[in-house]
Amino acid sequence: MNDKIIETLNRGGLVVYPTDTVYGLLCDASNGEAVKKLINFKQRPAGKPISIFVCDLEMAKQYVKINVDTEKRLRTLLPGPYTIVLPSKHKLPAELESEKGTLGIRIPDNKEIIDLVNTFGKPLTATSANLAGRPPHYSIKSFNKQVAHGRKNLVDLIVDGGDLPHNKPSTVVDFTTGDLKVLRDGDQKVTSFTLHVSKSEVETKKFAHKLLQEELNRDSKKPIIFILKGDLGAGKTIFTKGLGEALGISNIISPTFVVYYEYPILLFRNNRIFVHVDLYNLSDKEEFKHLGLEKYLVPGNIMCIEWGEKAGEIIEDLKDKATLIYVYIRHKSETERTISVNF
Amino acid sequence: MIILSIDTSCDETSVAVTEGRRVLSNVIYSQVVIHKQWGGVVPSLAKRAHQERIDFVIEEALAKAKMKIEEIDAIAVTQGPGLAVALEVGILKAKELANQNGKKLIAVNHMEGHLYSPFVQNSKGNPKTEFQFPMLGFLVSGAHTEIVLWKNHLAYEVLGETLDDAAGEALDKGARLLLNIGYPGGGAIERLSAEVNNEDRYKFPRPMQKIDSLDYSFSGLKTALLYAVQKMTEEEKLQNIKYLTSSYQEAVFDSLLLKLRKAIEKTGCARVACGGGVIANQYLRKKLRALIRKYEGVLYFPPYSYLTSDNAAMIGVVAGFKAEKNMFVENINDLDRIPRLRLS
Repeated sequence: MNDKIIETLNRGGLVVYPTDTVYGLLCDASNGEAVKKLINFKQRPAGKPISIFVCDLEMAKQYVKINVDTEKRLRTLLPGPYTIVLPSKHKLPAELESEKGTLGIRIPDNKEIIDLVNTFGKPLTATSANLAGRPPHYSIKSFNKQVAHGRKNLVDLIVDGGDLPHNKPSTVVDFTTGDLKVLRDGDQKVTSFTLHVSKSEVETKKFAHKLLQEELNRDSKKPIIFILKGDLGAGKTIFTKGLGEALGISNIISPTFVVYYEYPILLFRNNRIFVHVDLYNLSDKEEFKHLGLEKYLVPGNIMCIEWGEKAGEIIEDLKDKATLIYVYIRHKSETERTISVNF
Repeated sequence: MIILSIDTSCDETSVAVTEGRRVLSNVIYSQVVIHKQWGGVVPSLAKRAHQERIDFVIEEALAKAKMKIEEIDAIAVTQGPGLAVALEVGILKAKELANQNGKKLIAVNHMEGHLYSPFVQNSKGNPKTEFQFPMLGFLVSGAHTEIVLWKNHLAYEVLGETLDDAAGEALDKGARLLLNIGYPGGGAIERLSAEVNNEDRYKFPRPMQKIDSLDYSFSGLKTALLYAVQKMTEEEKLQNIKYLTSSYQEAVFDSLLLKLRKAIEKTGCARVACGGGVIANQYLRKKLRALIRKYEGVLYFPPYSYLTSDNAAMIGVVAGFKAEKNMFVENINDLDRIPRLRLS
């Protein structure tokens, strides 16, 4: 299959392909004709930039300017669901750049795409497969419904990767001025953005403790919900133990088999409760609604949800009832983790 | 004393009628069938299913025991630990039955049930296993892993427990990582490992070996497996899948037995009562037998296969001992579920 894709890309063709967020439309980013074809397909307004997939920072440096400081910060963010906007080196078709001369790069947390770009040897466009202004696609079925037959002929190859989880398109972060600035919120909502590298379980716990303390000091009078995302072994339960320790709860264990445990917060008055939820065994995000966790959303209560992504956008509906804090823990190496926090 | 007991601590709705240690009937309305579609313990289904089934299961249990509710002397129910919404259903029903029929109520700890499970008898009173206190309790399931000093009837001291994942959970997550299968994964791991003679090819690290405490930790083992698998290509992983499962299983079991051995040496007690879902694993039993032989001790396993899973029969048996000591619930209406109830 990959050979077919490479061959299509080499002759300047357009490929619909599943990415780490939505279905994307890939073409050879260095091929001016292919890029024009893509813009034509998407009916994209002139001047709107198109970001590119690269396989690593080394490849990125060929096309965008990355200084030492930015590189350090990028190494903690990437691979990940972020589009990083940086000053372009103008080696690629101008249509990809913004009017300010910047270019967005993506190194997604997705082995297939990284391998594809690596094999292809050149960057690929990282735009979504929907027509301009329309919602993105999470299935080929949805793509086929939205795109008229005639326009579909412009696409040379469709790779069906099944139904994609409803993650939002990437968070767009502008690094051009050296100060981090969010241009578009993806799943990593960024009103305030903290990055931390933890080198041990103790550090992860301390970080959790500190984070909770800061939020409690803010005294927003709303219940607090931590939504933890991260793979098996990333440290979600460790993080939760850190929260527990801050609340005087020292017997937190994994609730995987019972879905959630509740603990009284003896440090607070008025019978406040800490609820530790684990959605690992949930297969359908609709089930989250039936958990009846809303009854715990009382000011002073704190909830921590591991495998929060399994609840999908439903958690977003709670944003008026509680302070939502998204924590994304990733393996950086066997002994290190990156913790990104978004509000 | 004839007791009707209810256990809805997790995903089983179970009701039993017991007299002393004898089980007159035990009905488990297994929800595994429902859950196959949903991949695990799902509270909403668990709650609804418990609510819908519980009356039916109670009727079945009484019918099988050839009893009427009037002939029951007391009602027993699992108070915890477990899934809050599931426990609530059982407790509510138990209160209802107790109040409506003027029966006394006994609250039981689910882990106590597993501890007593090796001593549960069938309706004819077999097997006639004797209690020999003190004993060690070795409880291993998907949600719990504990070593308990069982001093006397209803008198326990937790010597060690898991600090993060339970052993059953570690096996289950290993199965997900390696085999991409959902709950329950332990059985598949046992089967595949047996096919390569349980060979420990990869020698995964045994967590907390050097630490003196009797507590367990399995989360590091999970991570070790993850890293090992990430370093392999898909083909390598598929070729070695059975060796991966058997090495992983070996690491989990070794860790379990290491602490048990420490407990035996610390307490000088080599009589071990075993309970919980993971105890159903025949290979673990083999290793346990080998260990106990070394210490010339005695091993007690649940005599019937239904007893390793969650069931109300074991709850009823514990309730029988509590009733003898007059340990009834004082204020029936105040009884509340305790999802993190501990043995003490």
